[in-house]
Amino acid sequence: MSSKTPKKVFVEGPISPAFISDSIAKHQSKTNIGAHAIFLGQIRADQKEEGVVTGIDYSAYPEMAEGVFHQIREAAFEKFELSCMHIYHSLGLVPVGEISLFVFVSSPHRRPTFEALEYIVEEIKAKVPIFGKELLGDSGAFAWKENS
Amino acid sequence: MTLSILYFGMIAEGVGQSFETWQMPEPLTAGQLKAQLLEKYPVLRDRKFQLAVNHQLADEALPIPPQAEIALLPPFAGG
Repeated sequence: MSSKTPKKVFVEGPISPAFISDSIAKHQSKTNIGAHAIFLGQIRADQKEEGVVTGIDYSAYPEMAEGVFHQIREAAFEKFELSCMHIYHSLGLVPVGEISLFVFVSSPHRRPTFEALEYIVEEIKAKVPIFGKELLGDSGAFAWKENS
Repeated sequence: MTLSILYFGMIAEGVGQSFETWQMPEPLTAGQLKAQLLEKYPVLRDRKFQLAVNHQLADEALPIPPQAEIALLPPFAGG
């Protein structure tokens, strides 16, 4: 698979388990692959001062984000022996317990998948202009999420 | 020159809009623009943000090209 192909990353709302399993099934024909690694980011019910987090409303600067995702992909293909890579991130509301980030890397061997997965997830958290409004309790309160 | 200025997340909330255009009589750097933004919107003094110029994070010395797209980006929260 070419690393040059522009990829659609953003999906509206949560990433469903069915979408993830379809994505796995699509790799059965790629018989040079010997290992996959998958990261799933799930919305956590943190307790904040104004209430418990019930969901995160994601927004982004899409024109810049797509470019940064592309740079992360290119750098990961450069650094690690990968056969393919897929990144999906939610926009809009993702309720607690649901998936907002799906990173899927494949390689002939296991080691590059572990290393690439960590690299990609950390790069996304640090560099992609995505913003998250944590909705708190049922009073309409919210707080802006900030990656550490 | 005409600059498009985009506000995101808690910054958009603070300034009460997500987009405006500014007419600038003469060229300026990202740092000079940031100072003007802080003057117009004092609420930004208490909020963390980075400036992007034409989709690239900009340091303060960067000269802003004519017709640039400027974005005020609050802390990232992807994942």
